[in-house]
Amino acid sequence: MKLNGSEIIAECLLEQGVDTVFGYPGGAVLNIYDALYKYSDRITHILSSHEQGAAHAADGYARTTGKCGVVIATSGPGATNLVTGIATAYMDSIPMVAITGNVTNDLLARDSFQEVDICGITLPVTKHNFIVKDVNDLADVIRKAFRIAMSGRKGPVLIDIPKDVTGALCEYTPRTPDVLSDPVLSSAEDFAAAAEIIANAKRPMIYMGGGVVSSGAEAELLEFAEKTDCPVASSVMGLGGFPASHRLFMGTIGMHGGYETGKATDNCDVIITVGARFSDRVAGDRKKFGQDAKIIQLDIDRAEINKNVKIDSYLLGDLKDTLKLLTIACDRTTHKQWNEQLSEWSKKGAVTETPASENYAHPYHVIEAVRKLTKDSDIIVTDVGQHQMWVSQKYRFEEPRTWCTSGGLGTMGYGMGAAVGSAVAHPDRRVVLFTGDGSFHMNLNELATVKSYNLPITIIVMNNTVLGMVRQWQKLFYGCRFSQTDPHRATDFVKLADAFGVKGLRIHNDDDVESVLAEAFSKTEPVVIDCRISPDENVLPMIPPGKTVDDMITEME
Amino acid sequence: MENKQIIGLFVHNHPGVLLRVTSLISRRGFNIDSLTVSPAAVEGYSRMTIRLQGTEDDVDQFINQIMKIVDVKRAEVMPQGASVASELMLIKVSCRDHDTNDILAVTSKYHASLVNLGDNSMTFRASGAPEDIDTLVSELSPFGIMEMARTGIAALEYGDKCLNT
Repeated sequence: MKLNGSEIIAECLLEQGVDTVFGYPGGAVLNIYDALYKYSDRITHILSSHEQGAAHAADGYARTTGKCGVVIATSGPGATNLVTGIATAYMDSIPMVAITGNVTNDLLARDSFQEVDICGITLPVTKHNFIVKDVNDLADVIRKAFRIAMSGRKGPVLIDIPKDVTGALCEYTPRTPDVLSDPVLSSAEDFAAAAEIIANAKRPMIYMGGGVVSSGAEAELLEFAEKTDCPVASSVMGLGGFPASHRLFMGTIGMHGGYETGKATDNCDVIITVGARFSDRVAGDRKKFGQDAKIIQLDIDRAEINKNVKIDSYLLGDLKDTLKLLTIACDRTTHKQWNEQLSEWSKKGAVTETPASENYAHPYHVIEAVRKLTKDSDIIVTDVGQHQMWVSQKYRFEEPRTWCTSGGLGTMGYGMGAAVGSAVAHPDRRVVLFTGDGSFHMNLNELATVKSYNLPITIIVMNNTVLGMVRQWQKLFYGCRFSQTDPHRATDFVKLADAFGVKGLRIHNDDDVESVLAEAFSKTEPVVIDCRISPDENVLPMIPPGKTVDDMITEME
Repeated sequence: MENKQIIGLFVHNHPGVLLRVTSLISRRGFNIDSLTVSPAAVEGYSRMTIRLQGTEDDVDQFINQIMKIVDVKRAEVMPQGASVASELMLIKVSCRDHDTNDILAVTSKYHASLVNLGDNSMTFRASGAPEDIDTLVSELSPFGIMEMARTGIAALEYGDKCLNT
């Protein structure tokens, strides 16, 4: 059948099982939006306030479902507004297809109105990108884009489509998508070699990351950890990939990880790295990271081997498969003494909380109170900064894909969009966004979206009136010279919520926490909670950049 | 230990493929001194030849990263001693203050041919292993090199093995 380019886009999205897209219309995508009008019974389009919000929403949708997120924007500024969202997804290996319109073929390369070379701009932050200049190529490019986004190490792909292509007619033949499978590239000898290292280990540990969630390898990791009795430390990205309540779970590793995980890294004799990449926030000093340990790495991306840290043995392939095969190759063992040692370190590393105040609530108290009200399947989204680290330390994640945070790029302003995407994907679950007053100010325009679609998101603004994380670094490393981190803003978040048509509540101090949260959680509508936090609250413990657990800061002031 | 390695790439001849390769080299901080692109023996594909300076780990990481570019089909080190590498140079040497025979004595050692004689200059074409071309340049420099253009390196592995498959 003959269809125009825009209808082909809609048909190809349906081929891929897409029923929800995020975006914002504009001149160069008028044809596409006309097709979306026609297909509105099969494809739901969520309109954001700003294209960045739409990109983060597609990301949140992808993180919480495991499906590929789709975002649409117009040419020029519409396309450039996606860039932060695409880069966020790229750093965290989140599958996404971004579709941008462009000016017509005859206007390309003439600095036409709203023309930008978005393929050039997004080249370093996409797995691949395409410009489709001929409608005959369109369907296959879209299919290829989804295949690239969802295979191997996942990530974003951008398709730029000139306006005339979206209007041109072309024969369209439906095709069922390929079944994607990533083969195990390591040999039986590789597995035997890794298993032998593990068999000889006296003090092994697992360092897991976002790859476990991306692969859906939670059950395989649990089985492996239990069979080998290995304690588990997680990167921020890995949270939810291993149940926090499990006896083997130690918590997060790295800059704001626990004393226990830091000591484990320094004292273990084998590190089994599962879907993690030794970023500087984990391996602060990459020369000293696990320097007395043999390091085994399981990953799908060959380029992660020996990138930051020298590896002794590695297994390549989808973690679901490599973990299963490694578990078979390993004997059941126990490490009683080692696990007891870790529990002792865990007790020693407890951080003393700041004393209660009538003017402020304590962030740990708020997070723990939220945890008492949420089910394991409820979704927690954060922005970036101190609140993000407090949540990563204190919220006990039990299930995968219940955690949305910008781990790699550290994008302030990520939270609102990601919460929208999560709530759209999971109308049956509660979505809680923890944000800070700094992050919230960046993209609070998406409150309009939250209200338009009546998404029952609980937005907790940890309002310390300062840019807390940067301020903490100024305290530690810049002699308390608080350059531009105290913005003296007068925003009243309760009134602000009201102006958007959203319920606003306030937590003044610890005494309010339970009652205000109970009220918010009793509603099936969006709520903004202005939660007062002390500007002097810090994220502890902290390993300074480039250092190890020996330099850990456990107290400030 | 740092040394120079030649890497051959077999890539889809899509618009932007050179940009994708050079962008990766730049943002990952790889140190290259030569990059050439030409049509490959298979239609629709190009051959790139890159000389990289670095340790064995750098070369390994380079190949792993470059293989992540969707348009790159293959990337392999051209083994030293088991591959041929060659480049072509055009070089214009000043003969104002020197006897042309002295210059010809040098160029003939390298089988460089004289392609043009100007009032005060001699232009030669030379081809061969990049190291030999380097030596020729240094031997000609006392006469005064006015201008030169080098094509960069082309390389193929010895034997029946091909990168095209």
